[in-house]
Amino acid sequence: MHHAHIDKFAYQDSVIHRLDSRVKFIVLVLFTAVVISLPRHSIVLLSLYAIGPFAVLVLGAIPLRFVFKQILLVSPFIIVLALTCPFYDRTAVSAAIGPFSWTTTAGWLRCGSILGKFVITMMCMIALVSTTKFSNLLAGLQKLGVPRILVLQLGFLYRYIFVVIDKAQHMLLSRRGRSLVYLGFRSELKTGAAMIGSLFVRSIDTAEKISIAMQARGFNQDWRSISRLHIGWADFVFAAAVICYVLCLELFAKPLFT
Amino acid sequence: MHMANELLSVPVAGATLAIAGGALGFVCRQTRKILSSEQLALMGVLGAFVFAAQMVNFRLPAMPGTSGHLVGAVLLAILLGPSLGAIVISSVIIIQCLIFQDGGLLALGCNIINMGLIPCYAGYYIYSAINGQSSKYWRTYAAAIAACVISLELGASLVPIEAALSGVLLVPLSTFLLTMLGVHAIVGIIEGLVTAAVLGYLQQVRPDIIRASIQGKIRMSKPATIATLAVIAAVTAAGLSLLASDKPDGLEWSYAERPDQENFEPIVANESRATTKVDAFQEKYSLMPDYSARNSKFGQTSEQESESAAGWTSLAGLAGAAATMLFVWLVAQIIRKNPPRSQKLI
Repeated sequence: MHHAHIDKFAYQDSVIHRLDSRVKFIVLVLFTAVVISLPRHSIVLLSLYAIGPFAVLVLGAIPLRFVFKQILLVSPFIIVLALTCPFYDRTAVSAAIGPFSWTTTAGWLRCGSILGKFVITMMCMIALVSTTKFSNLLAGLQKLGVPRILVLQLGFLYRYIFVVIDKAQHMLLSRRGRSLVYLGFRSELKTGAAMIGSLFVRSIDTAEKISIAMQARGFNQDWRSISRLHIGWADFVFAAAVICYVLCLELFAKPLFT
Repeated sequence: MHMANELLSVPVAGATLAIAGGALGFVCRQTRKILSSEQLALMGVLGAFVFAAQMVNFRLPAMPGTSGHLVGAVLLAILLGPSLGAIVISSVIIIQCLIFQDGGLLALGCNIINMGLIPCYAGYYIYSAINGQSSKYWRTYAAAIAACVISLELGASLVPIEAALSGVLLVPLSTFLLTMLGVHAIVGIIEGLVTAAVLGYLQQVRPDIIRASIQGKIRMSKPATIATLAVIAAVTAAGLSLLASDKPDGLEWSYAERPDQENFEPIVANESRATTKVDAFQEKYSLMPDYSARNSKFGQTSEQESESAAGWTSLAGLAGAAATMLFVWLVAQIIRKNPPRSQKLI
């Protein structure tokens, strides 16, 4: 496995990719907060809020199929929680779209709005991660005041996830090759524990080699990135556009649909 | 147990983010003094180890089709000490959020508290309180399981509480709480078993790694395994009988089965106090639901008119949103004639 499996699109080039990571991160946090605090039954309003992240994804040339798959992958828990709503809120309301109107329950509306908010915030998240190199994001986070140790830790973690996962996959493959029948819980547990334990030992050995190699190259506990961060006019335009968009929706669309 | 953004209100999210951020900052500042640069690489690689260890799964008895895996917070806290363990696990949670989009960005504070800080600190101190300086393997075994169960339960019980504070849930708090506790009791016991087994393995092959943290020799033995299985069975049975009356066991199964239960309505009636409270809360804060029927309940004279008018408004909204997205997409297709430069590299 390689990093390309999760953030291959971060290495493309587009208007959105060239924006400063700090600006994107702050905009993401604020936009998510706005979306989360929207009223609970307004699905139509949510569809208007979806335009923004959608536009960013399209401008960043992120394939929509990838976004869709990624959202589906992490959705089970929230789908279960959303589906509990119809069972607990059975106030009858009638919904109307165009010439059609039908009776439904407030719980269903709420279920729809939870799922809608989930999809929108996920789109924002994917838009950030797949248009920003992780090293730039980390450098930006450090500038924003995240402790240096945490930034270093995240950097190391990101770098070595797939190195260690590769090892784990080799072990899993060999276990599959050797175990033909289910040997009972005790031996399963024993095998699993031995695998995890030896994975731990191998990780420690790897870490020792890495730190020797890094010290030989003059590592002095600093996170360095080859790309310089700077906030240019494009970032101001982006921030202003997002602010205008959210303000328009809050001022004009919200009274219309609530 | 990863919470999503939608389970929280902005004030609760902000408060938990502040708490988690403050605690992490404090821990980082403390550890900076004692860390050497070798340990920096070690911590990073161990974070990656947590990801990889979560892939090692094994089939569980009594529940065919399910498999368990390690979560790892308590194991790391025991091996590295609570502070380093907390930093490693928090970084794992942040990466899960940022790269794998598992758990929302605003819910990051809650997730770090529930799954990182509490399991590491509670787990470590429970473990060392029970294990002490003892060299008996059964004591280490019991300590590992107790640490995992209690710390996971603590973390899991915070999820419904945070959601209830946000006023988001329609499910009664007690139902959600009992469900989470029941599920995570089982998860905690499995986690404890694996943790103890891994500690036993490491004790055999690399005693130098854990000499500082574990005294004596521990290993998997038949009596211990049987005893643990008996405890699992007892807890499961107790949990099932406790929950069988009206509380479900297991989030997914229960809610999927709910509509089939014939006595579903009375349950709602019984617990309607909490529900109505939440409803009242919701009523207060969602000033005016957008669906016109609510209006028509109050203003009955112009029922037909207002309903159809609102219907057209919402259609216009939906159609407008869809049209805008289509427009954006088309414009992007036209502007972007040739594929992005760096794609050729991949």
